Amino acid sequence: MQDEDFVTIRLTVNGGTHRLVVEPRRLLADALREDLGLTGTNLGCEHGVCGSCTVLVDGQSVRSCLMFAVQANGHEVMTVEGLARGGELHPLQQAFWEKQGLQCGFCTPGFLMTAYELLQHNPNPSEEEIRSALSGNICRCTGYQQIIEAVQSASQAVAGASATVPSGTGA
Amino acid sequence: MKPPKFRYFAPRSVEEAVALLVEHADEARVLAGGQSLVPLMNMRLAHPDMLVDINGISELAYVRPWDGGLALGAMTRDATLERDTTAAARLPLLVEAAHCVGHPAIRNRSTVGGSIAHADPAAELPAVLLALNAAFEVRSRSGSRTISAQDFFKGYLSTDLKASELLTELRVPGLPSKAGSAFVEFSRREGDYALAGVAAVITLDEDGTIADARLGLCSVGPAPVRPQAAEALLRGQHPGDEAWDAAATAVITGLDNPPSDIHGSADYRRHLASVLTKEALASAAERAERNR
Amino acid sequence: MTTTTNSHTWIGKDIKRREDPDLLTGRAEYTGDVKLPGMLHAAVLRSPYAHARIVRIDTSAAKKVPGVHAVLTGREATVVLDPLPAFCAEPVVEHAIAVDKVRYAGEAVVAVAAESRYIAEDALELVQIEWEPLPPVIDVLEAMKPDAPKVHENLPSNVVYEHVFIFGDVDGDFARADHIMKRRLRWPRATAAPMEPAGAVCKYDPPSGRMEVWSTTNMLNYVGWLIAGSLKLAPHMVNFYPMYTGGSFGSKHVTSKVIAIAGALSKVTGHPVKFMEDRIDNLAANDAQAADRIYDAELAVTKEGKFLSLRLHAIDDYGAYFVFAITGNTNMMSQISGPYTIGSLENGIKAVLTNKNQQGVFRGAGSDVGNWVLERLVDATSDELGIDGIELRRRNFIQPNQFPYKMPTGNVYDSGNYPGVLDMALQHANLDYWRQEQVRARKLGRYIGIGLATCQQRSTYSATEFWFHNPGPATGLTTTAESVRIGIGPTGGITVTMFSPFWGNSPETVVSQVVGEEFGVDPTTVSVAYEGTSQGLPSAGPGGSRMTVMLSGAVQGAAAKVKEKMYKIAAHLLEASLDDMEVREGRVWVKGTDRSLSLTDIGMKAYWNKFDLPADMESGLEGSFTYDHPYTTAPSEDRKDLGVFYPIMGHAAHIPIVEVDIKTGQVKFLKYLAVHDVGTVVNPRSLQGQIRGGIAQGIGVALYEEVRYSPEGQNLTTTMNDYLVPTVAEVPHIEIYHHVTPSPFTAYGVKGGGEGGRMVAPPAVTRAVEDALKPLGVKIDELPMTPEKIVKWVTQAQAKTP
Repeated sequence: MQDEDFVTIRLTVNGGTHRLVVEPRRLLADALREDLGLTGTNLGCEHGVCGSCTVLVDGQSVRSCLMFAVQANGHEVMTVEGLARGGELHPLQQAFWEKQGLQCGFCTPGFLMTAYELLQHNPNPSEEEIRSALSGNICRCTGYQQIIEAVQSASQAVAGASATVPSGTGA
Repeated sequence: MKPPKFRYFAPRSVEEAVALLVEHADEARVLAGGQSLVPLMNMRLAHPDMLVDINGISELAYVRPWDGGLALGAMTRDATLERDTTAAARLPLLVEAAHCVGHPAIRNRSTVGGSIAHADPAAELPAVLLALNAAFEVRSRSGSRTISAQDFFKGYLSTDLKASELLTELRVPGLPSKAGSAFVEFSRREGDYALAGVAAVITLDEDGTIADARLGLCSVGPAPVRPQAAEALLRGQHPGDEAWDAAATAVITGLDNPPSDIHGSADYRRHLASVLTKEALASAAERAERNR
Repeated sequence: MTTTTNSHTWIGKDIKRREDPDLLTGRAEYTGDVKLPGMLHAAVLRSPYAHARIVRIDTSAAKKVPGVHAVLTGREATVVLDPLPAFCAEPVVEHAIAVDKVRYAGEAVVAVAAESRYIAEDALELVQIEWEPLPPVIDVLEAMKPDAPKVHENLPSNVVYEHVFIFGDVDGDFARADHIMKRRLRWPRATAAPMEPAGAVCKYDPPSGRMEVWSTTNMLNYVGWLIAGSLKLAPHMVNFYPMYTGGSFGSKHVTSKVIAIAGALSKVTGHPVKFMEDRIDNLAANDAQAADRIYDAELAVTKEGKFLSLRLHAIDDYGAYFVFAITGNTNMMSQISGPYTIGSLENGIKAVLTNKNQQGVFRGAGSDVGNWVLERLVDATSDELGIDGIELRRRNFIQPNQFPYKMPTGNVYDSGNYPGVLDMALQHANLDYWRQEQVRARKLGRYIGIGLATCQQRSTYSATEFWFHNPGPATGLTTTAESVRIGIGPTGGITVTMFSPFWGNSPETVVSQVVGEEFGVDPTTVSVAYEGTSQGLPSAGPGGSRMTVMLSGAVQGAAAKVKEKMYKIAAHLLEASLDDMEVREGRVWVKGTDRSLSLTDIGMKAYWNKFDLPADMESGLEGSFTYDHPYTTAPSEDRKDLGVFYPIMGHAAHIPIVEVDIKTGQVKFLKYLAVHDVGTVVNPRSLQGQIRGGIAQGIGVALYEEVRYSPEGQNLTTTMNDYLVPTVAEVPHIEIYHHVTPSPFTAYGVKGGGEGGRMVAPPAVTRAVEDALKPLGVKIDELPMTPEKIVKWVTQAQAKTP
């Protein structure tokens, strides 16, 4: 409801809440990278094709170059910095490391966030489903195969982890 | 590549949004999913003075049964439509087409209303909704009016929607239970804008002849195309290559000025329109046969 | 899958990459992540015209935008900026910001520094320019005509370089031939398009005259001093920091333009300035568009299918400038005759300037084109003589006992086993099954094709290719050296310092594994660091598939120095003979005994117990080593012999199997098999990643990628919607096998493998599509094979068939 040059917004990013004063035109990607110092999210094309800047907003993958920070006001954002917990890599990060699903690493945060969303909806995806889910992320280094292997491996790791939870916990 | 300045409004209701559009009709643009508008702004090919962001209007996001068909709120995301079970049961064609829009992260934001209002001839939904005889409800200060898809799409990125009006609902009539439908498209890479796409709906008579056929094409003209001559030609025919060939010929004869760019010349798009029309019709007929 | 036993402990192991934890968590710092107090952001206004004179620029309105600190035209910039470094002998002058005239659409015309990139772009919209459009020269054949408008008025013609290299008795061999295969072949202008565009942050300190540079440049110590020259600074006063780089594929060797722009704006404003290309900047003006050639290609063949001589004449569209001269054409002369015993060859090169963004380097650096052209001729021979492609290749392969093999241009191939590589590929290809499938499918109107390419992948460049095309005596032969420093601290921990940055390859992993091998320690315990140019030892940086070879050699050399000192200390302390010392499992042992000292024991003594060391020994434990290119010789003065310049020669065989939908023209992969021989493999998984990524790019140029210009010279491919980099949907599962023929010239016998995938995939995929369409009689002479072209070829072929 503001028509000033700047607006005040509240972003919850990786669990922490931040108050930011931004121009309405400030892209979410720039708010994350420059205002919050979360430079893991990379800008590869700024027109929504490459997927490098993919983050989760309320659990859904979005291009942070095609969303204004003001539109995330009051919403929950998750970036690559939110994956590892207490120095422990997330199973997806671990799997990308083991399968070497990355080379230069620039597109990697986008792939991780896209794959994270996929595994939330579909804990045991087929290769076809992985390819379809990742088809909006461009990697110029790997030829994708080791990324697919990493997602497969992570899905097994996640499935394995939940299988070890004692029955009766509802897991 | 950063967007120019704009004034930003985020109304919480349709009334509020309409009031803003009426007041600022000269300078305001509606921000729906933003997946087409924001890239244009980042490249500074669009300079709206003011954006009316309707993402906060929760009353505009729904998929509801309507008169045998569906009513879709304008802010329904393509990802929602793609996974909606009511839509899959009533109008699988819509779901099939929604799945073809961009990529998952795009579909999480892109909206059915945005696709219609932007009216990119390469977009899937306008062609599909044209084939499905959809109608669009738009709201303005004086109330609402309903525009048929046929009347809505005027030309390249051009519609019957006025700057002071807000597109609120897409109404899609149901199909006969025995109808079969299919959407096929061809693009250079998966998820790219199609070089041509065809939606087909076939309804068969008891004797297996075609009772009704409908077609909608994207990316082969300045606006989505409804080739009525081809549809007329199919009625009463037996499904099969002969009928599909004749329909495809009628489709490409009727094409007016298909776009030509580095990904496909006008001739190639005509060729694809023919190939894909046959493919879509064959697939729709096969599904109709299964439903019979 | 190797042919030799691996006797190493760490070399050849799939350890997880040392680089990855920082990359996976978002902690790795790329140039775009650099943030300094007071830092400004730059943006650049680009020319809408391909060729025009700048009559007047009015920047007054732009300067008034709040937050703008400087608006700089090319003419104004000359106060702080000299022309960009160029590696050509011809007087082709390029400014980072155009002065008086633009030569391609997208050339920088005005640069702005402002408090944000948003504001900088706001200001650019207010710049007024009066233009005098000049007739553009876009078509390369038109550009060659004597009356064509000139891209550079100071040159006599747009044909900026022209020469025919002849090696051996080409005319005689052609006269003796039974058959001459002749093709006109067209290779498209592609571009590297790394995910991270190029960029730089420059911080100038006026009182001291020092500048700090954080940039995407990969050749810091090699060419940093030249960029300092463009900035009118004393080279030793400029410190280039090594940054993590989001892919290069050749496009970030120098990137002097972004550094010059950020540097000039920093000098003018007194603030640190960041200039990151955005994607449009990158695709329009990155200077990394690659070979754009028309070949008249001929192969002289006997009736038995023996290749006698190769004659190539290329017209290469270099665009508006000439930064690397004809490097792409000289590079391919290292392997121009391929894996075959071709006795003589001729290579004619016409380099032509047009109003396009200039050529730079892209993975393969021209050798990609050479492989495609040669394999097209081999395939033509197979078709015209009716000799199966596998058999034809076998008849012409250099045999394993012929190495080192001196090929006609004078380059030497170090080692190889080409029949062995082909055998390995066939062993896994299951061709009998696929030939049956092909027949079965054709009956159903489906078109399956089987491709094969057997190609060289040269590695480890020396630098003569940058100048040997110019006449005159060879002077200043360089060995493109690469250095590392190894230090063992007082607690025995090993630190390795490199002087070339990370660009998406695995330098930290390579040095860790080699250090692990040399000292018998776990590679994951090795600490790896990078240094900027102020601390820099000689290094040339990544490029030309050299880092694994050069770093392995440098680490081995530095390790030898450190070990020598360790042995002296240990022999002294253990009262044993120096000759009896050995290192394994992280300890120095007296051979054949149980007496040993740990690295900690030795490190502690070396650092803190001077009086326990042998007399006259300096305290501390470290060694630096600069590894020179293992085998480089000078070209002869008449250039009948170009000398040895790319001797570490890998090889590969690719077999892709595709299905072509002749209705839409779409190509789908049913299988993709690749066997690579790049000598001893340091990290198989990392090599596989390089190969797969290269193949994806090779599939790109074969089917999708092309930089396109309109007849008026507008670049039509400045977005990622239009320049089509393959996605996960277009790149198939790729099966890889390693064949190992070690190099006799390098540490551990390693060869470089970074470019091979992209150098071999294009001919293999071309042949697969051609094989699919064989029943229709389609011959393929150009890339990319777009769906529209395939439909056109099929239609034309069907029209010819009665």
